Amino acid sequence: MIVARRKPFSEIMESLEGYDRVLILGCGTCVAVCLAGGEKEVGILSAQLSIAAELRGKALDIGEATVERQCDREFIEELRNRLNDYPVILSLACGVGIQFVSEMYPQKVVLPGVDTCFIGSNDDVGFWTERCRMCNQCYLAFTGGICPVTMCPKGLLNGPCSGMANGRCEVDPERTCAWVLIYERMKETGRVEQLRRVMAPSDYSRTTTPAVLSHKAYRRRYSAHE
Amino acid sequence: MRAKERVEHAKELLEEIEIGADRLEMYHIGASDAPLWAEKVKEMTDKIKSLGPNPLKLVRKSQGAIPEFGGR
Repeated sequence: MIVARRKPFSEIMESLEGYDRVLILGCGTCVAVCLAGGEKEVGILSAQLSIAAELRGKALDIGEATVERQCDREFIEELRNRLNDYPVILSLACGVGIQFVSEMYPQKVVLPGVDTCFIGSNDDVGFWTERCRMCNQCYLAFTGGICPVTMCPKGLLNGPCSGMANGRCEVDPERTCAWVLIYERMKETGRVEQLRRVMAPSDYSRTTTPAVLSHKAYRRRYSAHE
Repeated sequence: MRAKERVEHAKELLEEIEIGADRLEMYHIGASDAPLWAEKVKEMTDKIKSLGPNPLKLVRKSQGAIPEFGGR
């Protein structure tokens, strides 16, 4: 899932300077799970903005809405009538949702209410860790299901580096070296010999942005975009 | 304690909007510990008095949204 965190309140207030009507738009998927931009967080931010605006003697008409996903046209489309009342949308979705809403409603001012952090796992309630750098070239089959691109701060494909000491990472000695974890996992699954394979350098052309992807079954329909 | 963490978060929310985190406190008091309860009530009362009225209430009063003393 995509992990985000709400922007500092002062930054949100500053971005709303000069506007008197705003719709806070939550997203019911990833940012709801990471407690940054779901329906509940929309309510909290709305209450905060309402009180802060009143304290400053400022009139601010605040609307609240949450859609299933802001990265999907069909869910944003259903907002069309609701948006008529608001010139400004404060989106609590990830960067994708914010851009998509802005693209669908170009006449609206769309502002971000969160900072999008990473793609990660929901390790525990209120705790997330990064797991994937979206390098478009998955090595997990050769690294025991542990991503060296993400879990090694240097992203080494042939680790460990010489900075590893007593199994610890030199960048963050609190952490176990990703390549030590990889070795242990490969050993555990009887595949340690596979680590003799030298990985070729990453093909960074695969990470050229903005990336576009279409499913085979729809290739003819979208071929003009690739 | 989960409740303690949630109260800390609520205090942060109050601080962000300049209502002030000190207006909210959580005390851990045993059901039979009446003296400690009384002590904390007095402590909180003194703190609230020193902090003064809720700033939002002052704004509303200045706008006539809240009746002056004696009103309901």
